[in-house]
Amino acid sequence: MEIDAAKCVGCGNCVPFCTMGAIRVENDVAVVNEDECVECSTCYRCCGPEGLRATFVRGLRRLFRALHLRYDAPLDVCPTGALVPPELKWPRSLRRAFSDPTVTHDSTGMAGRGTEEIKTNDITGRIGPGEAGIVIDLGRPGTGVFFRDIDTMTRALAQLDVFFEPQNPLTHLMNDPQNGSLRKDIANEKVLSAIIELKIKLADLPEVLHLVEKTATALDTVISVGVSTKCDPEGGIPHESICSGAGYPLSLNGKTNLGLGRPVEGMS
Amino acid sequence: MTNTLHRRGTPQTLRQDFVLFATPSRSLSPDLPDKMKRFTEICLRHNPLNMAKIENMAMRRVDPRRLKEEMQDQIGITAVFDNPDSLASAIAELKEADLGIPINVSGLLEQVKECCGKAGITRHSVEQSLGIFGKKEKLPPPEIVEINTLCGHGMVSFNLIKKVADEVKLGRMTPEQGAYLLAKPCECGAFNPVRARQVLEALRMKG
Repeated sequence: MEIDAAKCVGCGNCVPFCTMGAIRVENDVAVVNEDECVECSTCYRCCGPEGLRATFVRGLRRLFRALHLRYDAPLDVCPTGALVPPELKWPRSLRRAFSDPTVTHDSTGMAGRGTEEIKTNDITGRIGPGEAGIVIDLGRPGTGVFFRDIDTMTRALAQLDVFFEPQNPLTHLMNDPQNGSLRKDIANEKVLSAIIELKIKLADLPEVLHLVEKTATALDTVISVGVSTKCDPEGGIPHESICSGAGYPLSLNGKTNLGLGRPVEGMS
Repeated sequence: MTNTLHRRGTPQTLRQDFVLFATPSRSLSPDLPDKMKRFTEICLRHNPLNMAKIENMAMRRVDPRRLKEEMQDQIGITAVFDNPDSLASAIAELKEADLGIPINVSGLLEQVKECCGKAGITRHSVEQSLGIFGKKEKLPPPEIVEINTLCGHGMVSFNLIKKVADEVKLGRMTPEQGAYLLAKPCECGAFNPVRARQVLEALRMKG
């Protein structure tokens, strides 16, 4: 995000909206830490312009100060419309693609950072009996992640017998899915979060989870991990006993695919 | 996207938090717009708290009251409910409607299973969270994380939640106003303002 210094009156309203805490006010002007900004545009979308002139706001503020008055403006406005979403070039454009759900991800043609996981499993059959899906959401919650940290995780995972989801945006950024290494030119780009999606044999679940947990300790971020399976004919969850047996407690909540979809003709 | 998978909270708070969504695959059937319209109508009949649509391959939060008029070529719909009875009725209606599109629910698995049972549905697939790994010392107190995870994409910053919690404690904002403001950054419409209000009230009591 860019801030028009000539317009900014340093009200600081945009500061708390920043998902990465990358905006601060210095000498009455908001300043963005470009290294930390993930170009999610939340500040821009949430702090709508009030259409006031900067000279008017500054003058009013001086007058109020002289009269010992205080005016608390609404939190979700930018009085002068000083926030300007920049046109981004590669590789910085990746920040927006992964961090702003209101834009289409070029590599997937969808909004968001991942694919459909089990959400369409009833019509795609992507995760079948004896298989498990794993989602490794790096940078989440609320911490963000650099691609260099994602690269550490994907390279570690590639040592095991895993299948990286081909339609996932991260898989598109790999030099070679066999060794999991990501393109070198994106290493220092930061995103709000990015999801590694794997398909593995159900029996391999403990080994993969141990590796994810171990690798996570070396990263400068947090990771939210999820696991999915196709239910048995009675609606039972095959991964439950395996996860708890391996010492990984599962959440009581989760996603349920109701199975109301029907495969579309021509779809595998 | 893992959107609603990692919602955090106690079993008690999660009992009032369900996200119902239709995510047709990329291979779209020609009559999809009609099916999505019917899905939306069914959701609206059961008083959702929040809704969003995927339109032109991008997410937009929509006021449920205006969604019917705004429906165009959206390919995904999300609706949040706080009442398990509403959810059960919506699921039963969706089964009856037989739209043939993939429909998912995020929420307490046992409760969702119960709703499925009432509608005569055997669930197809299940996804669960294994929690948070890595540098957890970077995270704020659990109540702040709980509100942050109500947005499927983590767009509600820790700092905004802290700021709103402070405003509520100082009496400059009611918990309802705070929850409304916190819902604003969430474009995927998965944010549950009722749960956010409850957490803000609890934080105010805590002082």
